Amino acid sequence: MVNLTIDDKQVTAPKSATIYEAATLNGVKIPILCHDKKLLPFGACRMCLVEVEQMKGRQIPACTTPVTEGMIIRTSTPDIVKARKMVLELLLLNHPLDCPVCDKSGDCDLQNLTYEYQVNSNRFTDAKFNHEIDYNNPLIERDMNRCVLCGKCARICDEIVSFGALTFIDRGIETKIGCEFEEGLNCEFCGSCISVCPVGSLLARPFKHKARFWALTKHKSVCGYCGTGCNLTLGVKDNKVLTTIYDENQGFHKGQLCVRGRFGYQFISSEKRLTTPLVRKNGRLVESTWDEALELVAGRLKGGSNVAALATPRLTNEELALFKKLLVENVGTKNFDHAAGYAHAALTEGFARSFGAAASSASILDIQKSDLLLVIKTDSYETHPVVGFEINMAVKNRGAKLSILSDKRGKLSKLPQAQTLLHRPGSEVAILNAIARVLIVDKLASATAVTIAGYAELVKALSGFTAETVATQVGISAADIKKLASDYAAAEKALIIFPAGQAYSGHNADLATAAANLALLTGKYDKEGCGVLCLSEKNNSQGAVDMGFIPQEGGLNALQILDACADGSVKTLFIAGENPLTSYPSLAKVKAAFEALEFLVVSELFLTETAAKADVVLPVCSFAEKDGTFTSTDRRVQYFKSAIRKSVHIKTDYEIFSNLVTRLGGAVPPTPALLFNEIAAKTPGYQGMSHVSLRKEGAFAPVATKPEFVAPQAAAPFTAETGKLALVTGSALYHNGTLSEHGEGPMHVCPENYVELSRADASLYKIAEGDLVTVASATGSMQLKARVTPRMPAGVVFSPYHFSEAPINTIWSGSPVTAVTVSK
Amino acid sequence: MSEVAAQQTTEQDPVIDLSLADAIIDKYIDLPGNLMPVLQAAQDGYGYIPRIVADHIAERLNVYPSQIYGVLTFYAQFHLKPRGKFIIRVCVGTACHVQGAPRIVETFFDKLGIGHAETTPDLRFTFEKVACLGACGMAPLAMVNDSTYGGMTVQKVDEIITDYRQRPMK
Repeated sequence: MVNLTIDDKQVTAPKSATIYEAATLNGVKIPILCHDKKLLPFGACRMCLVEVEQMKGRQIPACTTPVTEGMIIRTSTPDIVKARKMVLELLLLNHPLDCPVCDKSGDCDLQNLTYEYQVNSNRFTDAKFNHEIDYNNPLIERDMNRCVLCGKCARICDEIVSFGALTFIDRGIETKIGCEFEEGLNCEFCGSCISVCPVGSLLARPFKHKARFWALTKHKSVCGYCGTGCNLTLGVKDNKVLTTIYDENQGFHKGQLCVRGRFGYQFISSEKRLTTPLVRKNGRLVESTWDEALELVAGRLKGGSNVAALATPRLTNEELALFKKLLVENVGTKNFDHAAGYAHAALTEGFARSFGAAASSASILDIQKSDLLLVIKTDSYETHPVVGFEINMAVKNRGAKLSILSDKRGKLSKLPQAQTLLHRPGSEVAILNAIARVLIVDKLASATAVTIAGYAELVKALSGFTAETVATQVGISAADIKKLASDYAAAEKALIIFPAGQAYSGHNADLATAAANLALLTGKYDKEGCGVLCLSEKNNSQGAVDMGFIPQEGGLNALQILDACADGSVKTLFIAGENPLTSYPSLAKVKAAFEALEFLVVSELFLTETAAKADVVLPVCSFAEKDGTFTSTDRRVQYFKSAIRKSVHIKTDYEIFSNLVTRLGGAVPPTPALLFNEIAAKTPGYQGMSHVSLRKEGAFAPVATKPEFVAPQAAAPFTAETGKLALVTGSALYHNGTLSEHGEGPMHVCPENYVELSRADASLYKIAEGDLVTVASATGSMQLKARVTPRMPAGVVFSPYHFSEAPINTIWSGSPVTAVTVSK
Repeated sequence: MSEVAAQQTTEQDPVIDLSLADAIIDKYIDLPGNLMPVLQAAQDGYGYIPRIVADHIAERLNVYPSQIYGVLTFYAQFHLKPRGKFIIRVCVGTACHVQGAPRIVETFFDKLGIGHAETTPDLRFTFEKVACLGACGMAPLAMVNDSTYGGMTVQKVDEIITDYRQRPMK
């Protein structure tokens, strides 16, 4: 710590702090336009000028000057105030004073500083800029006439997002911010640039002219898309969520969001939301009352074990726990599951055995503490973009090493010094096994590894996985495998990251145990910056596992439930929020199951394809209309409160389940808060948590590990017959599950399904970007738009799974790799 | 932008051979901070930086395309449009100005049908006003590529244009 004087006040600050940071820490406000606490100091705006006595009263920028012992700083002498006024006058010289129609008004740093410094006249005159406004995309408006050239947008796009869409163009007075060759913005549309813009140069178009900033009420919430658990501030007016508001102090991610979090909120106030219960009469779904609908459902739920249920891991912990209670205690069935039954297997079957707990052994915070990140599949960026930002920052700011094992290149491969080992699709487990064997054979494992249960069996099981044998099967060299093993062993702290989800069926228990083995062999678990982090797909995937909404002893899993529907042993199916017709493997199988069902109940926000097949449809609330807790992928339990009132005729899933429990003669705690107390008492790690204690910020539910080596089964390497390509499924950056189909933002940018193929295959099959191609597998064929990208290796094609219009399960039946033909 | 130049931008770019760019990139690929030498060599090789070359350099050097464009627009030495075989520069610095440079400039504009920093459709001439060529004693001064023409007059403009119209393009 350093002692210094700011405005005659004795204060202390960390040695690494700048004057600006030291002042902020000690409650002294210094005006600034070009600073964001996530970004490196830049010193562009000259608003933060201060006087330092030791520097002979020179005016120096506070944001770039480090503090030194005994510094005497004055932040607002008459000279400084005069200088700042001058800076503002010069900025206002070119800035159009169109505040009355500018959406930034009220939240604009330039406007606020002009007010604060009372710049009510300007001694200079000059022409205003006449730059064309970029309306080329539906999400981000760029008006360079208002720009003050603080560079924050270009810096955040480089330093954190690592996309680099924006940069300084031209020179001198003509300098502006823009994209290559003066084109419109064509990027990830995460909107980070909007969040840091101090003026109205970058604006969210979906929010344009919707409300004045000061008319919005701000509600803190938790994002309802992926498992990262980002915190949101929703801007609400007239009971409608109109925008998301940036708060650099919110969450571990400091307010940073991806395209889904920032622009995907529109589904909440969508006009397509279901508004009343629907009951099938004479073959058609007609509007009904809650009483009629719930009575019908309650009657069917008396069927005991011929009842089964699927729930989406987007429900709150309270709802999932209550649903389970309803099914087990009141209905009397063990047949319930979520996420197609396999997307949670890495946790429930993999980590449960390797670490003794169905949870990742590391948190997202460990990324910033690690020396080496081993990422399995570049898709980790697409599935969890904010985790991707953390990886970007770890690599670019801290110089963490990044090793990637993937079946295709991706954005992460472009990071400085990133090592991407491109392997044949579906061979991840074999490679991890080979690395484990190198660790053992080359004596790179830690001395304590032998004491962990299952060591001898593991050594035996790995005997076939020599680097040389595996290398010939997976398409990477034995030297690369050995290098990766020695890098991993040599790093003081290393973290393994892989995504899981319904489109990643290969990321199963075997992959989890194979990854865990590396951590256990080298003792890189249970320590800061070490461990294995499984990125679960949905906002409450980990919560669903923690609540035990998984197949029970003697019960069926999700895919078995569908089989049982088809063969008639399950007669009533209750689907809470899942959309199997789009997101489960093998469309034909799901269709057959629904055809054979006697009674299908669906509780949903929208009339999805699945809901359209139901006998009773129950309209439910989104996360913005209810209270509860979500547990993020790294077991951070976060409480959120409703941001808007729900419409009159819809209910929360909690209300529906509790109504059904009562109808079936049971009793439930009247509020989610009381039920959460019960959950906290019996769920490992949740002890002591309550809605009240989580109100301010979320808390990690710690897991106790009991390590054990498990020998993972490596699938036989995929070999495509000649003329066939290997189709790998996955997530698109702009989407998450099928919910994002109802978010206007994601749908503007990525509206339809596509197939991505390599340049080599494109020229081989004479396919050009945008061509409609026929993709056919053994189970079906479909037409998809082609995207030709340099990231795909020859012989491999990729397609995401989110789209109900062209569901990939037409040709995909759940295997990690599918042989397909692609033709024009 | 004059009408002639506007027509020219709508014309199709000629087919660009990327093997030249690849050779340049291969030469500098391991050099830290290789963006400037690569762009300079590409400028020399192609005469300007075609869009496709900029994109190719971005992909191979793993640099944001926007960053390349930022560099290209910052330095006057880079050009984004094809340039003429003969670059005519007329000094409009103080000494040349008082010696009548504006009339020389106007005459070139009239005779060539192009304006400042523009290129004739046949890619023979590019015209540029420059601030000072460092030979004020020869004012008013013009240069065509590396040849210097001092004491410029309106008649000399005609002679220069006639001379260079007859020179071979290859």
